[in-house]
Amino acid sequence: MLVDSYSKRVFNMAYQFAGSYEEAEDLTQEIFIKLYNSLPKYDLEKNFSAWFFTLARNYMIDNYRKTKWEKKTRDEFNEHLLSSDAFDSPENGMVREETKKIIWESLNRLSPEIRMAVILRDIQGKKYEEIAEIINLPLGTVKSRVNRGRLQLAKILKEKKERENEM
Amino acid sequence: MKCKTVEELLSPYIEDELSIEEKKAVEKHIETCENCSLLFSSMGETLESLTEFPELSVSENLLDRIYAIPSKKRRFKFSFDFLLRPSFQPILAAATILLTIISLYMFHPERNRVNKFVDRQVHLGYSKVGKLYAKAEFFATSLGEHKENILVSLNNINPLSRDED
Repeated sequence: MLVDSYSKRVFNMAYQFAGSYEEAEDLTQEIFIKLYNSLPKYDLEKNFSAWFFTLARNYMIDNYRKTKWEKKTRDEFNEHLLSSDAFDSPENGMVREETKKIIWESLNRLSPEIRMAVILRDIQGKKYEEIAEIINLPLGTVKSRVNRGRLQLAKILKEKKERENEM
Repeated sequence: MKCKTVEELLSPYIEDELSIEEKKAVEKHIETCENCSLLFSSMGETLESLTEFPELSVSENLLDRIYAIPSKKRRFKFSFDFLLRPSFQPILAAATILLTIISLYMFHPERNRVNKFVDRQVHLGYSKVGKLYAKAEFFATSLGEHKENILVSLNNINPLSRDED
């Protein structure tokens, strides 16, 4: 059913974008309300997934612009995001979890468009063609957004590491 | 190759989108430049972290909230959506213009003068129509008086034209 197959994907997309669990739940509900209202406008010849994710992406970015979440901090990197690696090999796992924590918090420093491109490509593992369809932009622009996002995140991580080494 | 150029090529390098020459140039630069080498390894770690973010499951509470939407929506189905329909836009535009005119009139500082002006124009209009009506009536009665003469003249026109042929 529609809700079962899409709620998880939309919720995760919202959580990665907004960084807050409650916010992501509210966003997912609002996106489904929007979906029910927009279903009559859906063109049956179009790919439903891409159409729905476009709707979800547009809603998240519009909402972001209205509420300016960048002023808020993201949820603590907590039990939701901690993988099992940390427990398998404690020392190595700790470093990796620390890196993940930095990246998770740094996502908020990316502009909403770039953040969304990085989420779709690197967290959700979508193909560039799919992302271009969702964002409704040429492939080149999508790639450039992903590249810029990765570079920004890598620079933040590098700076933090350098600062830690100096201490 | 400059550091700035290499920075831009790091992500395409990871995606294996560079030509052999570009790839070699990036590798050569990274070997000698500590700064870019660190940035490259940071980008690798960044990508690794992003890929490893776990996919969370949806809470029962959220699922309930989503399943409750259709009935909720139906209950409140009567909405003001029709106001947003494109076909309604000319009506909204006309209403806006009308409201603007009304508000301009209502809040005009010399409203009495406007009223007088409108009154005068209306009266002038009335008197013009009255005069026209009187003229039309006069024309109709004078036509009636000369009806016979006109008919005779019209009858005479046809034979004359035949003679000319």
